[in-house]
Amino acid sequence: MTLFVARALLRLARACLGERHADWASAMEAELEAAAAAGEALPFAFGCLTAAWRAMFTSEQGHFLLTSYALVLGMVLPMAALQIGCALFGLPYLYPDQHGLAGALLERSPRQDLLPSVYQAAIPALAMLQVMIGLGHLRVGWLTLERDWAGATRWGSICLAATATLILFMAALFLDGRQVVLQGAVLAIELATIAVVARWHSQLSSGLAQAR
Amino acid sequence: MVRKRQPSKQMRLLLQVLAEERDVWRHGYELMKATGLLSGTLYPLLMRMTEQGLVEAEWREPAQPGRPARHAYRLTAAGYAVARELADTIADRPFKGALA
Repeated sequence: MTLFVARALLRLARACLGERHADWASAMEAELEAAAAAGEALPFAFGCLTAAWRAMFTSEQGHFLLTSYALVLGMVLPMAALQIGCALFGLPYLYPDQHGLAGALLERSPRQDLLPSVYQAAIPALAMLQVMIGLGHLRVGWLTLERDWAGATRWGSICLAATATLILFMAALFLDGRQVVLQGAVLAIELATIAVVARWHSQLSSGLAQAR
Repeated sequence: MVRKRQPSKQMRLLLQVLAEERDVWRHGYELMKATGLLSGTLYPLLMRMTEQGLVEAEWREPAQPGRPARHAYRLTAAGYAVARELADTIADRPFKGALA
């Protein structure tokens, strides 16, 4: 069990060290056997993880890793949660009369009286589209952490196109689309930030290749 | 004027241990035991000293077959010169103290 935890800590250390220090991660892993034989596998592995964290805070590669995680955890995932939350739990802004999904499907306001069947038919499709945008955000976050920039840009563009579709349909149904426009703007900022991070990664990779 | 940064206590210790047997390749865990440094201190130090050209690192085949290769370290000529310089400075200190 101790050895299993120690190996897991070393894998985490490898992830923190990044490509530039991959050789050092292998060096730490190779020493684990000697440390385990002396009954010190866990303190050794924890020390290596501390070393990896220290290296992460001092190297440009580490700054890049921290930035990409901050982008995903601070921007992409909250956006995904907001989109999925809006669709599944019916946050008010998306639906007529600001009463959420339940309000849109069940309650009848004077405005709904004018176009009840249109709203009833459109709301599930709009909610589904919103869920898809949220799931698309999750995919963008995953691909960003995997450094698949082409994939992240492709999925981001799909989300942007879906958001534009949502805005158009909401406008056609005379729904308040200001919040969706705002989400579309945040998505555009996300895509621009991913492009900057991708460029940074490309510069780091070329620097690493030259160093080798 | 550029001020030359003094090596830390841990770096001095590592230089001293590596300089004792300059041509011998030492493994990471062995260095931990010899210096008393923890892995969280030793590895950043080795990384920095390797980047500065004071230490060279190499993958060495194990003495016993079937075991994985291990990273081993030894001082470069520049590293040995720094270690010697530091040892001389330490040796000079009592003399300087006596003069003062």
